[in-house]
Amino acid sequence: MNRPFKILIVDDEEAMRESMKAWLLKDGYVVETAASGFEALDVLAARRPDLVLIDIKMPGMNGLELLGRIKENQPEMPAVIITAYGSIKSAVEAMKLGANDYLLKPLDPEHLMLLMGKMVRQSAMIQENEALRARLAEQDGATFGDLIAQSEPMLRVFDLIEEVAVSEASVLITGETGVGKELVARAIHSRSGRALGPFAAINCGAVAPNLLESELFGHERGAFTGAVRSKRGRVDLADAGTLFLDEIGEISPQMQVSLLRVLEEKTFLRVGGTEPVESDFRLICATHRNLPVMVRTGAFRQDFFYRINIISLHVPPLRERRQDIPLLARHFLLRFAREMGKPVEGLNVEALRLLEAYAWPGNVRELRNVMERAVVVGRGRLIGPRELTFIHPESETPPQERSLSQVEAEHIRRTLEYCGWNVSRASQILELDRGTLNRRIKKFDLKRPD
Amino acid sequence: MEDRPLVQVVPLGRVDETAVNVTAAHLQAVLDLNTQILSARPVPDYALVPGRHQYNALSIIDALTRDAPPSVLRLGLLRQDLCLPIMSFVYGEAQIEGQGAVVSLYRLGTTEDGRPVSPDQLYDRLAKITLHEMAHVLGLIHCRAPGCLMRFSPNPGHIDRMDMIFCPDCSMELVRRRTRLFRNYLASEP
Repeated sequence: MNRPFKILIVDDEEAMRESMKAWLLKDGYVVETAASGFEALDVLAARRPDLVLIDIKMPGMNGLELLGRIKENQPEMPAVIITAYGSIKSAVEAMKLGANDYLLKPLDPEHLMLLMGKMVRQSAMIQENEALRARLAEQDGATFGDLIAQSEPMLRVFDLIEEVAVSEASVLITGETGVGKELVARAIHSRSGRALGPFAAINCGAVAPNLLESELFGHERGAFTGAVRSKRGRVDLADAGTLFLDEIGEISPQMQVSLLRVLEEKTFLRVGGTEPVESDFRLICATHRNLPVMVRTGAFRQDFFYRINIISLHVPPLRERRQDIPLLARHFLLRFAREMGKPVEGLNVEALRLLEAYAWPGNVRELRNVMERAVVVGRGRLIGPRELTFIHPESETPPQERSLSQVEAEHIRRTLEYCGWNVSRASQILELDRGTLNRRIKKFDLKRPD
Repeated sequence: MEDRPLVQVVPLGRVDETAVNVTAAHLQAVLDLNTQILSARPVPDYALVPGRHQYNALSIIDALTRDAPPSVLRLGLLRQDLCLPIMSFVYGEAQIEGQGAVVSLYRLGTTEDGRPVSPDQLYDRLAKITLHEMAHVLGLIHCRAPGCLMRFSPNPGHIDRMDMIFCPDCSMELVRRRTRLFRNYLASEP
């Protein structure tokens, strides 16, 4: 035992209570006793033992009533009922109420020793699981990791994540580039029964088509030039866990057939291998493409689409959930400030207004990058507009707030700047004659910078 | 004055003299305790558990230690079957870091299928149980190390498979506990 295992004995008979205590003390347990159910509840209100041993026959509050009260307040509290010969019916009742086991009086020393060993191991496993889950939760952040949101559409996604996590069915996550499809996949994995297993991910669009088969299924030594040693593929590595195939819309029809066979048979062959390899994984795929359209045009196999799309989950783009922007911006800002050791504490009002107005074509990934750069260049406590650099600056102001003449003026100004204010060159690009362009420059009061 | 702490072996009722001597010899040789054999006391009928034909080990220990001089340990030996009120039987029982223990020969004389064992095997088992219980009196708890005398023995077969030794951790702890007992013993002497 790494730490003392604490036991509470509840028995109204002093001889029973004390003899049990004496026996357990010799085995290294820390023992506390209570002479009644009421006394036991008082003890439990103040301290948390690892196990409660309850005699079933007690005056006042009997063992079953006490067990019921304990399970009502602390359902996870391990409890073992002690009963006399001839009261098996009560023991069965106790098991229904949530007792972990029962012992018959007088107890057999070997039986008691085995049961205590089992309870200690169970307690250690529960503690280990709790620690692991806490660590996983810590890695993922307080809620859903970087999937931080307060908007209705994303809260619906969170609900769906919780719902689909308990299932073993294949999930297809759709959404634009940068919305956080992999984060959603990881959140599903970490909340599933496979959370303690591996999460094996591959971006199918980022691997050359001729290497994808080897990356997915692995290869045997000598399977092809350069295969100097055998290698396990992602499908193999995902055994007992989750396989995440990002950008599934990019794989060839031939690879779709290979994957379909793996999904049907749960076995595969390594490249250059002859022995089938088994892998028990849950499949999650993601794509930014419109797969139903691809199915209609024949670019994606229908049977494979149905196989991977048992549950579908759409992650909305950032522009459709603008109330998440300040929350996400602050989250990334504080995270990068902490990582870089910068004293940045937030955004000023103008910067925030700019972020909220921007269209975010690169979605959360773009917001994250903008915040990272802002922290790098930021000098004060608050980030201002000057520290924000957008990848697509033309969308800094949302279209609904700009008139056509404003758009026209902006476009002419940019073209002139692009051409170094060479009006002839700009008029060619804009397909306007020089006179018209000069009139527009005058009309919009555009001036060459000094 | 003897330079080692004292343990008194007390036969309860008629107990085989060799068994008593073997017990005392092992306490002296293995635990390095000065041992004295007291004259026999009657079978502890006060400890008989009604309806069970067994004797309550805790009551016997209570009676044994009640009149023991401070810092003197006492071990009771008897042929009758021992139990705790909550347990179906025990080979022996001890006060953890206390003053007394009691060991029974009742279940040590037969094999698991009920055949009698040789006297050598009986004394070997008795010595192991005695050392185990007296180590409890010194403050040691059960140990998980295979073969260690402080490992819990559920049956005589298990006792037979144990060696007459403590594991290194328990040996170290015994030295520490014995030193403390010796200090207390010296302090209690006039």
